[in-house]
Parts: sequence; C-alpha cells; structure tokens
Amino acid sequence: MTKTLVLGLGNEILADDAVGVLVARQLKDEFAGRADVISCALHGLALLELFIGYERAILIDAIQTGKNPPGTIMELRGEDLDKVYAPSPHYAGVPEMLELAEQLELDFPKEFRIFAVEVGDMRTIGGPVTAAVAAAIPAVCERVKAVM
Amino acid sequence: MSRHITVDPISRLEGHGKIDIILNDAGDVERAYLQIPELRGFEKFAEGRQVEDMPQITSRICGVCPMAHHMAGTKAVDGVYGVQPTATGRLIRELAYNTFMFEDHALHFYYLGGPDFIVGPDAPKAQRNIVGVLGKVGLEVGKKVIAMRREARDMMTLLCGKVIHPVFGLPGGVSKRISADEQKKAIEISEKAVEFGQFTLQVFHDIVLKNQQYVDAIRSDAYTHKTYYMGMVDEKNQVNFYDGMLRVVAPDGKEFLKFKPAEYLKHIAEHVEPWSYIKFCYLKAIGWKGFEEGPQSGVYSVAPLARLNVADGMPTPKANEAYQQFFSVLGKKPVHHTLANHWARVIELLCAAEMMLEQAKNPALTDAKIRNIPMTTPTEGVGVVEAPRGTLFHHYWTDKKGVVTKANLIVATQNNAARIAMSVDRAAKSLIKAGKVNDGILNRIEMAFRAYDPCHGCATHALPGDMPLVVRVYNPQHELVQEIRRDMQRAS
Repeated sequence: MTKTLVLGLGNEILADDAVGVLVARQLKDEFAGRADVISCALHGLALLELFIGYERAILIDAIQTGKNPPGTIMELRGEDLDKVYAPSPHYAGVPEMLELAEQLELDFPKEFRIFAVEVGDMRTIGGPVTAAVAAAIPAVCERVKAVM
Repeated sequence: MSRHITVDPISRLEGHGKIDIILNDAGDVERAYLQIPELRGFEKFAEGRQVEDMPQITSRICGVCPMAHHMAGTKAVDGVYGVQPTATGRLIRELAYNTFMFEDHALHFYYLGGPDFIVGPDAPKAQRNIVGVLGKVGLEVGKKVIAMRREARDMMTLLCGKVIHPVFGLPGGVSKRISADEQKKAIEISEKAVEFGQFTLQVFHDIVLKNQQYVDAIRSDAYTHKTYYMGMVDEKNQVNFYDGMLRVVAPDGKEFLKFKPAEYLKHIAEHVEPWSYIKFCYLKAIGWKGFEEGPQSGVYSVAPLARLNVADGMPTPKANEAYQQFFSVLGKKPVHHTLANHWARVIELLCAAEMMLEQAKNPALTDAKIRNIPMTTPTEGVGVVEAPRGTLFHHYWTDKKGVVTKANLIVATQNNAARIAMSVDRAAKSLIKAGKVNDGILNRIEMAFRAYDPCHGCATHALPGDMPLVVRVYNPQHELVQEIRRDMQRAS
C-alpha cells in the first residue's frame, strides 16, 4: 500500500460517466509504486473504507452542474466542498463521507483533491463517451500528474 | 381533467426515482406513482456479447450490489452451459455471497435505512443521516461498524479477487482456490461477523423496539399492505440467499406456489402502464387487477420481510431465535407492515454471518476441485439469487458460440414496484387535499418508499451537482403552475 490513493469513480457503461474510470486506467501503469490506482462505480458511503490509511487521495469523477460546457475540468479540495446533506441518505456523497470520517476520527487522507469533469451524456447505457469529454481526458491526466 | 405533480428526488438521472402525482378536478389525489430504473436498455446492450462476460458486465449495473448481479449472472451462465459447480465451487460462491449480504445489510441498516429509525422518522432532515445515527448510537459504535465492514470487504477481496466488481464466477465453479491461511482468516472474520450480528440485533432492540412510538409506526395502517410475498427457500423451507426454490405465500400466509427459478416465466408476468416505462411484476395465476392489495390481486412483494414471510424459519440457530421473536411481537405470519423490513434485515444480517462461519469452517473449502469444465453447447440459462433488496432474475439466450442473442433481467425493485406505488399513493392521498400541496409531502413520501430501499444504485456515484427535491404541479395542459423546491440543506 502506497501513501496515495488515486480513485477513478464512474460507470463505464453509462457514456460520459466513464470519464473517471478512463483516466484512472491511463494512469495506472505510470503511477505504479507511487500510488494505488483504482476505479469503481460505488456511491459515497460505500466508498468510505477505501480511503482509510492513505495520506492523500486524488479523486476523478464526473459532475453535472449544467453550468459549464461538457469537458470542463474543475478542481476541488475536500475543504472547499460545502458540507451538504443530501435529501436522502441514499444519495449521500463525498462531503458527507468526509464529515463522517472527521467525526469518527478515521485515519483519513489529510489532502483530498477532486478533479471533476462536466459531462454531456450520462444516461445512455452502453453509450460512447462524448467527443468533448473524450478530448478532456489527456488534460485531466496531466492535471493529476502535476499534483502527484 | 387532471393535474400532474412530479416529485423528483434525484434529478441527476431523469426518470429514475421520480414520483408523479396526478390530481383530479377537485384537487385530490387520483393516483401517485414511483418510477424506478429498469433495464431494457441494458438488455439490448448485452446482445452480441460473450455470455461468459455477462457476470462482469452486469456487475456494473449497480453501484450498491455488484455481487448480486455477478452471482445471478454466473448462475445463469451455469445454466447456459448446462453445468453445475463442484461442491467446493458452490461453497466458495455461497461464502462470498453471504459475506456480501452481511456487508450490504450492515450498510443499509446503519447508513441508509437506519436514519429513519435510529434517529427517528420525524427528526429534521439535517439529522436524518449517518452523522445523525452516530449522534444517537455513539462514536464507538460507528467505529465498530466501519471496522467490521472493512473486514467483510477484505474477505470478499480474498474470495472474489476484487471487492467491488467480483471476478471469480465462472460457469461450473469459481476461478480461484482458497488456501489454508485464507480459510483461517475467513473463520476469524466470520466469528467477528456473528458477534457483530448479535450486537446489531441488540442495537435494534434497544433503540427501536423499546420505543413504543416506533413500534406503533411499524404497525400503522399507513405502512401496511396485505399482498402476496415471494422469496427463495432451501429444502427445509428455510431462508436461502444463494439457491433453492421460489416460494410464494398468499396474504393469509398459506403457500400459494413453489417453483424452480428456471420456471419463473410461467408464474411471473409484467404489466405495463402508459404513464411509466417500468414494468410491474405480478403473479400470472392471479392476474393483474390494478394497484390493489388482497388475495384477488396478483401484486406481490420481495425483500427481507417477504423472505421471512415465505419461510418456515431461518437456517441458523441465533437468527432463527430472532425470527421466532419477530413473529411473536408483530403477530402471525405473514407480517404485512412494510417498515418491518428494517427488523427483518437485521435478522438476515445475523443469519448471513452465521452462514459465513459455518461455510468458512467447512473442511471442503480448501479443496482443489473448484470447477467443472463445461462440455455442452450453450443455449439458454436462468440464474436467480436473493439480492439484499429481493429476488433478482438473470435470463440469457445464446447462439451455439455462446454469444448473447437475448437477455431478460428482473431486478429486485421491479418485483416490489406495484406495492411501492401503492405505498406512495397512500402517503400522497393522506397529505394532499383540495389541491393544497404541503411541503411535508416530501418527507412522508420519501418514508413510504425508503422502507423498501428501492435501488437507485446506478444513479448514486457521481458528484452531486444541483440535486434538489422538487414537487412540480402541472395543470391539465401539462403547464407548470407551481413548484415547491427544497435544495440540499447546507451546514453552517
């Protein structure tokens, strides 16, 4: 186990939602020995255990704000995220997970960076990644490498 | 003429988990519906793929229970190749599957469903979450839950190759042997799991059952529907999550049907409504009589409560003791109170843990014969398991080369869709009168469907953008006339 976790989140059979998984796949070999690179399609609270024991975490995920053109890359820090409560515990996400980790005094990453890519289509099962999001993948990889 | 109201709790994926409420001219509720994910698109996507890949592909359907899809898929591929797993292959599968049921039920009880009961159904939104749960049960309990779930997931990694998307199921068995050291570790974790199961049952007793208000809520008419129930049972008619016969009991508790999972198409049909893309499952022998309860209606229910209702008992001693108490407190079988699912889930969690220990200790676990090699031409196969949220069906048809020509999937929540719609309808009718849409409708309607834990897993893993809860009121011309909006509450 290295000290850094690189986690690509997303569902690779749901069009642009795959972006985090695709980035993680590209970085896996290059980061070998320096970071643990994994990808998955789990939701916030089920992810919690994955982070325990790492000093820092870099998360790559899809985001749908509807306010930016597809392919826009946003960088967020854990502390930048509003502590929000989802309308139901079913939909709890990263901010709630971070708060829980803090309350439980878990051995959680001190540094938590998130690279989020604005998506175009996240609904088509088996749908391809749209051109704008595919074009953003090399840039996301560079951004992740730059902070490694 | 009617008005249309939409409650859309997760707007990220349109049409998933959306509530439609249709008002009549008087402004009262004519009918309310919950729309939930269905998998027709996925079935199309499966066509043209190698059938051996299906257990891996289908595990991507859901971010909550990939193992259930992996296992149903693996069993369906067994069927396609006409091969059964070796004794050890089956043992490893069952041990992995019970570990998953244990882990997922723990997730649900403490993180997802728990907030309604542990924190309380009327607690403010900001407290009805895992953080609120910890405020009530204490940080030490929280740490215990995290530690136990982590160990369960370590065990799944050990058995399945990968914890998140398992890769061990092959036609005729599994891909990886278990070493003596791994067995030792599995026994250790399973022992802790049994202890954790007993502890969780105690938490439920102390916090929920000792509070008369909660017990009254479980028993209330608002959350009671007298329907049929379906679940899987072993040869002694005891609950089994991995394999067995499907048993259906009538609203009076008498056995109505018992059939081999491969014959499900003879017994289960799907009803289509013009307003929804979801298909509502019903019992063919009774027929579709609308969203009605009672013996004359083919509506049935699945999930923990249904599994306890259809069985004659639990296969393990501690869980069976809890099972007896469940029915002595809530009345004779079947129990029709939807909220009793939470209690049933805890009993199943303990059962899964006891099964884990029994299977982990089995000397055959480390045997080298983990797979029978398929020798026949592939054709067609059905794989059924009890997923945490109910019976899950995978059915594949292939050509002679094993390429999928057709797939049919019924996810657990589809089995429950009609009954969930009835619960949502009842909550909406009790709250909306003469066109007045109260903001409280959001909470109450959520409660009505959350007890079933309808699976929105595939919609829950991206970062939230704007994810408000919205009630939309439409006039008969489908023009938006009113919007009640509640954005996520921000902590100070």
